[in-house]
Amino acid sequence: MSPLTLFLLASLLLLSIGLIGLITRRTLVGLLISVELLLNGAGLAIVAAAKTASLTGALDIHGQLAALFVMGLAAAEATLVLAMVLVVQRRFGRSATETITVIKGSKEC
Amino acid sequence: MNDVLDQFFHSLGHLFDEAETCLTPYLPGQEFVALLAFAFYVLLIVSGGLVAVLARNLVRATLGLIVTFFGVAGMYLLLASPFLALMQLLIYVGAVCVLIFFAIMLTKNTSDGDEAKFPKISNLILAFLAALGPLVVAGPLIYQGTKAITTRKPVDSGANLGEGLLSIDLLPFELISIVLLVAMAGAVFLAYRPGSKEGSAAL
Repeated sequence: MSPLTLFLLASLLLLSIGLIGLITRRTLVGLLISVELLLNGAGLAIVAAAKTASLTGALDIHGQLAALFVMGLAAAEATLVLAMVLVVQRRFGRSATETITVIKGSKEC
Repeated sequence: MNDVLDQFFHSLGHLFDEAETCLTPYLPGQEFVALLAFAFYVLLIVSGGLVAVLARNLVRATLGLIVTFFGVAGMYLLLASPFLALMQLLIYVGAVCVLIFFAIMLTKNTSDGDEAKFPKISNLILAFLAALGPLVVAGPLIYQGTKAITTRKPVDSGANLGEGLLSIDLLPFELISIVLLVAMAGAVFLAYRPGSKEGSAAL
């Protein structure tokens, strides 16, 4: 078993755990936590694949920089989600996912 | 002062290089140490992740998330990417987790909130089955595709990273600064309520 296999399996584990969270969590903040787990798995997989593999022609720094960009995107995403959660909380009084199932113009609105 | 710092970081880099060479079977003893470290990091990731996903209190879930972040940072160290490991701690633990704590605080997600009740057992079983999907499908594929790969590329240093940011990855580097700016402006625009005296205190 090569080191690359181990690292990729670890990132796969992160993906699975994040999926469990995405399905079972009831609030938007809980979903945010699960998405962060998923993004971490993605970054780890990118770095590991660019490190060892002859799978891709990418250089080592390409992998590291791509993971760095993933981190930046995760930070931007967390900021925006925080603002969205705030708006939902103001309008509906709670931040459970089931409260925002009605869109403008539908019957119950 | 600068020389001392330089030397410190230099020796730090050597330490990480050694950790990485451990993963290749140069010496049987070293490989064992690296595997031990890897197992420890996997333990951190799995236990922290399960707490992050299953804890009924969102603050505890965020603490589990931090443990997972530390595990992934350790993985980056084993991959000879010390800069990424430090960035992982700085960005995720330092910034993203604080944002999540703010979100918890502002939405009043207390221990008896929406997450307090444990999900139905049937839902939980279905969620675990769904998470088993990628494991069962992609796991064997990964194993088959990568078990024979032993070649490693030369390790790049932090200086190479800086050069890469200013040459081959210049466009993504500039784009991500715009993305961050737009995200910040969008967040302010969404959360700003003009003309309200109580401000966010009303929350």
